[in-house]
Amino acid sequence: MEVMQVLHMNTGEGETSYAKNSIVQSKIISVATSIIHEAVEECLEKNFSDSMGIADLGCSSGPNTLMVISDIIDTIYATINQKGILLPEFRVSLNDLPGNDFNNVFISLPEFYNQLKTEKNIGPEGCFISGVPGSFYGRLFPKKSLHFVHSSSSLHWLSQVPRPLDSNIMPLNKGKIYISKSSPRSVFDAYLSQFKRDFSLFLKSRSAEMVVGGHMVLSFMGRVSADPSSEESCMQWELLAQALMSMALEGLIEEEKIDSFNAPYYAPSAQEVKSVVQEESSFTINCLEAIEIEWDGGAPGNNHFEKYNNKIENYNLSRGQQVAKTIRAVVESMLEVHFGREPMDELFKRYAEMVGDYFSRTTAKYIDLVISLTKKG
Amino acid sequence: MDLEKVFHMKGGRGETSYSKNSSLQKRAADKVNHITLEAIEEMFLESKPKSLGIADLGCSSGPNSLSNIKELVNAIERESRKLLERAPEFRVYLNDLPTNDFNTIFQAIPDLYRELKKGRSHGSPISIYIAGYPGTFYGRLFPDKCLHFIYSSNSLHWLSRVPPGIYNEQGDTINRKSIYISENSPPQVARAYFEQFKQDFSLFLQSRSEEVVVGGRMVLILLGRNGPNYVDRGTAFLWEILYRSLATLVSKGEIEEEKLDSYEVHFYAPSKEELEDEIRKEGSFKMDRFEMFEIEKDTGNSSTSYGKAVAMTVRSIQESMISHHFGEAILDNLFEEYGRLVDEEMAKEDIRSISFVLVLQKL
Repeated sequence: MEVMQVLHMNTGEGETSYAKNSIVQSKIISVATSIIHEAVEECLEKNFSDSMGIADLGCSSGPNTLMVISDIIDTIYATINQKGILLPEFRVSLNDLPGNDFNNVFISLPEFYNQLKTEKNIGPEGCFISGVPGSFYGRLFPKKSLHFVHSSSSLHWLSQVPRPLDSNIMPLNKGKIYISKSSPRSVFDAYLSQFKRDFSLFLKSRSAEMVVGGHMVLSFMGRVSADPSSEESCMQWELLAQALMSMALEGLIEEEKIDSFNAPYYAPSAQEVKSVVQEESSFTINCLEAIEIEWDGGAPGNNHFEKYNNKIENYNLSRGQQVAKTIRAVVESMLEVHFGREPMDELFKRYAEMVGDYFSRTTAKYIDLVISLTKKG
Repeated sequence: MDLEKVFHMKGGRGETSYSKNSSLQKRAADKVNHITLEAIEEMFLESKPKSLGIADLGCSSGPNSLSNIKELVNAIERESRKLLERAPEFRVYLNDLPTNDFNTIFQAIPDLYRELKKGRSHGSPISIYIAGYPGTFYGRLFPDKCLHFIYSSNSLHWLSRVPPGIYNEQGDTINRKSIYISENSPPQVARAYFEQFKQDFSLFLQSRSEEVVVGGRMVLILLGRNGPNYVDRGTAFLWEILYRSLATLVSKGEIEEEKLDSYEVHFYAPSKEELEDEIRKEGSFKMDRFEMFEIEKDTGNSSTSYGKAVAMTVRSIQESMISHHFGEAILDNLFEEYGRLVDEEMAKEDIRSISFVLVLQKL
């Protein structure tokens, strides 16, 4: 599976779209706000320039996208006002893979620019927002053009399915679609190896693109346990595999298809992340936190992201159904390419049931890692 | 009606999309390709920047924009090789209105990167960064002084809005028997369109002047007219044919007459003098080169009539505006009639649509 061509969040604004089902991701953004604010302030301390490059990597589409940028600009605005200096020109780059629904983001831009003008008197010559299609595993931006980089809920996606697993001939991970307690050692090794390669390339690329003293805040799925098959990092995939297998048992899906599918995903431990950062050596770590996030985003907080995202349409659904919708919006593009469109509705119906059942036994939580980095001199 | 929210070329890659119906525009650009390449080469040899900013204003969603970018990049690569120097880093800025189908053009970018990387099989890997900048070019789009070369093809004849001067105090149009300037238009109509053009083009130049470095070049290709007369057998005539097609549908009861009377286009084909005047007045650019050209009727493809080809092209361009005003239901019938009328007129006498290519240099 060519990840770069296939992976994208569900487009548009319909029932199963990412735009309408991204409340978990908005929660993830909101828990990182204080770290983001601190990073932005520190960045301004050391690096004041009359033209600031800001990038959001894995911007996707839907309401979360512009909210992040808005928050970053707000922070810069507040900090600068305090100091009484002139606002810099903002060069904002929104990056995602070419299959992302950029049109959905762009249509909201005129309104966004209007707000900037009325609320902060930032005119069209003060802020330039662009869409940058491409993989962040590699260079995206000109040398030394960025001061602040943000990425949320994106870096757990690998550049490809680990090579040894992407094979029809000798499936290593039968009946499973990610790392599982029953997976052989080779599966664990393949995933870790791919993550190290990818994350290292990510850091190397950003290092060339960022100014010395530039800051980066990254949030992605991870785990606290040393064991990569721990529930906190694998359960959502485990249940999805179970839903698929239940359909295979009834002849609705070929079992070989399940054997040959492996998610291009990895939830690293804090230690694994630190070790890649240290080895790549372009960045110092300011902080690294592990935050628990309930699978359905949990009780709504007071943060403006969450208030905006609490869509009434999801109110009457059970928690299992809500979670299934958020997962569907994210993985459907990949699953469809592999299993076809036909099984999708039934698959997510079963998945919702299994998730609901899991919820009744335990409080299902993701571990969200948030890391703040500074580019070394 | 906020134009920025409505106007766009037909997206996607279907039958009626701009992607599949923009070969006339490609032929126009190809015809003056040598001028475009000469302009960028000249600029490059004068300053040899290490990081080169290229913008396409009105990139739309079809294959033409990226194919042009490829030519521009290849030209610079060639010049660099001749000088035995490393090629610059390329920063490419693709602009169009926010409602443009950027997704389609973005999905074609990986292939473009692959082709460009293949072209440079030895030596250092190519550094090229492409981004989409949605917004109106009647105003600032890009950071200060980031551009060396601007290309805009078949975009500048679109005004920022229908000229307010064609509406009376009650808000009704005084241009009832036309959708553009025609022999049925009262004289204030032409004046109003001209005023709007002056305002728009001047703002265009002013905005670009802050974004382009000294010595930077702009290549602008747009529809124009030969001499002061508006009513000729050029582009204005094509609008008249659209009017007549709409009128046919009125007579068949498919469209209300009132709807036709109130439809106006946000378009203007300037004359050479009108362009020169604004450039001189705004003062940031000088005109290095000006040429007028026509695109010959393509006698190659016998399966589709010329009229039908023009109709498909115009449809992919006008569909957003027409469906907004008249609804979608009439589109097929309308453009069938349009194609028929074009063929009928061409049989009597050629319709000669005139284009201009201008090369401007930033002072």
